[in-house]
Amino acid sequence: MRPDDELRSWPGLVERDGESHLRVTRGLVLSRRQAGFALVVLAATFAIPDITTLAPSLQLTVLHQGLLFGLAAIGLNLLLRHTKLVSFGHAAFFGTGAYTAAVLATHYDVQSMTVLLVAALVAAGLMAAVIGYLSLRHTGLYFSLLTLAFGQLLYALVQGQSFFGSSDGLPVRPGPANRPLVFGLALEPEVYSVVMFYVTIVVLVASLVVMWRLVNSPFGAALDAIGEDRQRARFIGIPVRRYVWAAFVVSGLYGGVAGALYGMVRQHVRPEPTLHFLSSGDILFMAILGGYETLVGPLVGGTVLVFLQDVGRDVTAYFDLLTGVVLLLIVFGFPSGIVGSLQHGGRLRVAGRQLRADPTVVGDWLAAAGRAILTGVGVWLRNLGSVVGVR
Amino acid sequence: MIAFENFITHTLHGLQFGFVLFLIASGLTIILGILEVLNLAHGELYALGAYAGFAAIGYLTGLVAPPTGPVSQVVYLLVVVAGSTLAAFAMVPFAVAIETALFRPIYERDEVYQLVLTFALLLVFSDLIQLIWGTQSKYLQGVYSTVNGIVVMERVGITYPTYNLLIIAVGAVVVVGLFAFFDRTKTGRIIRATAIDREMATAIGVDTDRMFTLVFALGVFFAGFAGAIALPPSNANLAMGSEPLVLSFVVIVIGGLGSLRGAFVGAIVVGVLSRWATWQYPPAELAAPFAIMAIILLVKPEGLFGTWGETA
Repeated sequence: MRPDDELRSWPGLVERDGESHLRVTRGLVLSRRQAGFALVVLAATFAIPDITTLAPSLQLTVLHQGLLFGLAAIGLNLLLRHTKLVSFGHAAFFGTGAYTAAVLATHYDVQSMTVLLVAALVAAGLMAAVIGYLSLRHTGLYFSLLTLAFGQLLYALVQGQSFFGSSDGLPVRPGPANRPLVFGLALEPEVYSVVMFYVTIVVLVASLVVMWRLVNSPFGAALDAIGEDRQRARFIGIPVRRYVWAAFVVSGLYGGVAGALYGMVRQHVRPEPTLHFLSSGDILFMAILGGYETLVGPLVGGTVLVFLQDVGRDVTAYFDLLTGVVLLLIVFGFPSGIVGSLQHGGRLRVAGRQLRADPTVVGDWLAAAGRAILTGVGVWLRNLGSVVGVR
Repeated sequence: MIAFENFITHTLHGLQFGFVLFLIASGLTIILGILEVLNLAHGELYALGAYAGFAAIGYLTGLVAPPTGPVSQVVYLLVVVAGSTLAAFAMVPFAVAIETALFRPIYERDEVYQLVLTFALLLVFSDLIQLIWGTQSKYLQGVYSTVNGIVVMERVGITYPTYNLLIIAVGAVVVVGLFAFFDRTKTGRIIRATAIDREMATAIGVDTDRMFTLVFALGVFFAGFAGAIALPPSNANLAMGSEPLVLSFVVIVIGGLGSLRGAFVGAIVVGVLSRWATWQYPPAELAAPFAIMAIILLVKPEGLFGTWGETA
C-alpha cells in the first residue's frame, strides 16, 4: 500500500497494481469489478420501492423489516464474529430502541424523527452498558443465558406495565401529522413509507462502513485476539473486559437504531415481535443464516429470514417448520451461511463448478446421501437397543 | 393480614410448580452437563409430552371406572401416573433418533451451531405438534375433577386440589429416585464420571456414545413426563413450550449450570417465589424469576452449587 493512500481519508480513485481502484475509506479499496457490483447492489436497493409496486408478492414493508432486523444482526455479529460471544438477548436492544421511540412519541409527543432516533440510540447504549456490565462477567453458555434472561426480564417488565401498553404495545403516531416528521416535513402515508425506506438505506450503508472501519481497526484486531484466546489477549496487554464491553455497547447501538426505525416504520410497537426471546433467537440466526464470518451476511440473512417467514405464512400454516428446515440445512450443509457459501471457494461455488465440469456428479451426491441415511438408521437401532437394554 | 390458609395454598401451588420445573430443568441440566449442548427444544419436548399425555392418560382413564371406594381411588391415581409414564416412554425412540441423527455430528462444532440446531428443532417440533393435534387446545378436565373428587386437604380444613398434591408426591418420588440413580447405581456413577472428565471416562472404557444417547433419552423422558402429568390442571396448547423453557434456564443458572442439586433448589425457589408473587403482586409474576436470578448471579456468579459430577 502506498503511503499517500494511507494519508488520504476521503473517498476517490486510486491507482494500484496498474489498475484504478475505488477507495471508499481507509483500507477499504474496491477493484473495478467489486466497485461495479457494489454500485449495482446499491442502485437495486434504491429501486426496491419501484420494484415492489410491480410484483405483488414482494412487499416493501417485509423487505424493510428484514433489512432492519438485519441491521440489528450486523451489530450482534460484532460480538459473534470477533469476540466469539453468543448473545441470546439482542432483542433487548432492538426493543429498547423501538420502545424509546414509542414512549417518546405517545407520552411526550416528540415528533421529530431525528430526535426519536438519537434518543433511541442513547437509551439502547445505556441499556447495553448495564446489561453488558452484568453479563460480561461470564463467557460461553453462561453469557448466552444471562443475556437471554435480561432480555426476558425487559419483556416481562414491558408486558406488566400499562405505561408501555402491556401486551397491546404502543403506537408511534405523534402530533397532528399522525406520524413522525422527517426533517420537519409532514408526509403522506405512501410517501412516508418510501422516504423511511431511503432513510433506512442511508443508515444501513453508513452502519456498514462504520462497522467495516471498526473491525479493521486495531480495536477490531484486539477483539479478534480476545475471541481467539482471552488469556493470551490479557497477557499482551489488551484490556479485555473494557474492550468487550465497548463492543457490546456498539452492538447494542446497532440494535437500538434498527429498533427505533422499526417502530417508526411499523408505527406500532408490541412486546412480542420486539422483545421476546424468540426475536433474540431470530436475530442470532439471521447472522448465521447469512454467514457470520462476513460483514454483509447478517443483512442478507435478516432479509431472507423475514421474507421466508412472511411468504411461508401465506403459503402454509407450517411456516415455522419451513424456517426450521432451512436452519437445519444451514447447520449440516452450509455452515458458512448464504454469503459465505457463495463467496470464492465457498461450498456452493465449488459444487457448481463440479456440476458444470461433470453433471454425473449428482449421482455420486445422491449415493452418498443414501449411504448416510442407511448408516443413520443402523446407528439409531443400535442406540435404541443400548438404551432399552437389548445388546 | 395474610391468612394462614392462603399462605399454605399458595406455597403448595409453588411447590407443585417447582416440581414440574425441576422435572424439565433436570433433563436440561444433565444434557448440558454431559452433552454440553443447551437444548432449546426442551420446552417443545415438554409440550410434546403434554400432547402424548393427552392421548395416553385419556385412553387409560377411559378404561377404568370412576373411583368409588378407597381402593379404586388409588387405582385411578396409579392409572394417571401410568398414562404419564407411557407418554414419556413413547418419546424415548424419538429422542434416540434425534440424538443419533442430528446431535451426534455437531458435538465438536462451535456452540453457536448447536444453538441453531436446537432452535431449528424447536420450530420443527412445534409445527409437528400442530400437524398431528391441530391448533385446538387439549383438555383433560374430566381426569382433573375426578382426582379432585378424592378428599385429602379438605380433611384439615384447607381447600386444595388433590391432583396438585399428586404432582407434588410424584415429583418428590422422582427427585429421590433421580438422586439415588446418580448416587448409587453404576450407570449413574458412570454418567457423573463422564460429566467430570469425558476423555478420562473414555480412557477407562466408558462407551461415551451410549452415555450420550442414554442421557439425552433420560432428559427427554422427564420433560415428556412433566408435560403429561402437568396437563390435567391446565391444557395443552401450541405456545406452552416457551415459558417452561425460559424458566428452566433461570432455574439452572440459579443452581449452577449442570448441577442436579442446584436445579432442584432453583426449581423450588423459583416455583414458590413466583407463586407468592402472583398472589401478592400479580404484575411481578413474569419478572420475579428473572429478578431472583439477577440477584443470585450478582451475589454468587457461579450459581448456588457450581458444576455437577463431584456430588450428585
